[in-house]
Amino acid sequence: MASSATQAPPAAEGSSKFPAWAKLGAIFGVVSALSILTWGPIGVSGTYPRFIGAIFRRLTPDLAHANPYLEKMGSFLRPETFLVVGLLIGGFLASKFAGDKAEAAEYIHPNETTKNKRYRDAFLGGVLIVFGARIAGGCTSGHIISGITQLSVSGLIFAAGVFATGILTAKMLHRGAQS
Amino acid sequence: MTSIIYALIVGVAMGALIQRVRASSPAMIAANLRLENLSIIKFMATTIAIGAILAYVLSAVLGPGVMHFDIKPTYVVGVLVGGLIFGVGFGLGGYCPGTCVVGAGEGRKDALFAVLGGVVGAFIFTIVFSSVIAPMNKLLDYGKLTLDQLLGLPAVGTAIGLGVIFLGIVYMLPTVVKKR
Repeated sequence: MASSATQAPPAAEGSSKFPAWAKLGAIFGVVSALSILTWGPIGVSGTYPRFIGAIFRRLTPDLAHANPYLEKMGSFLRPETFLVVGLLIGGFLASKFAGDKAEAAEYIHPNETTKNKRYRDAFLGGVLIVFGARIAGGCTSGHIISGITQLSVSGLIFAAGVFATGILTAKMLHRGAQS
Repeated sequence: MTSIIYALIVGVAMGALIQRVRASSPAMIAANLRLENLSIIKFMATTIAIGAILAYVLSAVLGPGVMHFDIKPTYVVGVLVGGLIFGVGFGLGGYCPGTCVVGAGEGRKDALFAVLGGVVGAFIFTIVFSSVIAPMNKLLDYGKLTLDQLLGLPAVGTAIGLGVIFLGIVYMLPTVVKKR
């Protein structure tokens, strides 16, 4: 048995006819389409290298301009950056209004026995998701949500890759500690 | 300038939706990837279904060139390799590049470590891009390829078809999977 610390929290509640995930998903679908109508498809992961670019242009402009990827990604001052700022604000406001108190460290695998081990997994996971997303040219939002919404074949291929290793990794980390 | 305001509003709404559906909870993501609780996967499929139908119906009604579609190129090898690496990180940390920012807004400290990891991952990427990634991403590059082009069908019909199939799958799948 897994420890109670790694059990998932219950899914968001809703009326039995339309559960919360269905209502929230439908609203997100409308928001995503309106985003394409007003400025462009949602996407998050490109903001990470643009942030690196902004820092390097400030500290060592020569090095920044010599890097082809930072040049390709362009300025930090673009809509996507403000989308990411919005995510921070939206997460803050929603948790405040709902009175949710998120745990500082939420243990997700049985081998995350200390806070430091949890932070290690979150950090290494963060490295891999952004590195992988930049190879593919997008992440969950840009490739899976916006990509498949726009009927892009690349979004379907990316989603297949993500769920193949995502499911495998999550299941292996769960089983490994139980044996 | 107006795009920046629209993007900020979309970001706030998206952050609030992610928080409410608990997609910013790494334990919830891990439960979805272990296929014990499918609420986030069903949430995403619902989002895509409604978004695709609405975006392409709007496009058909408003005419060509109005919607700001931006199709990402299908370079098969790079997109698949990137997805496979992303999946390992997703399963390990329970965050994606957007949900960790939402989690940070909620006051989750592990989310801050994921954001920091993301910045480091982006930095490593900028160093290896020219030598390793750019050549790989030239392999099997079909450019901006969409499903309707691939199938030879009208875009709005393909979007409605895909939306109906996704909603059908979502309706049939259980949300909480009983353990064997």
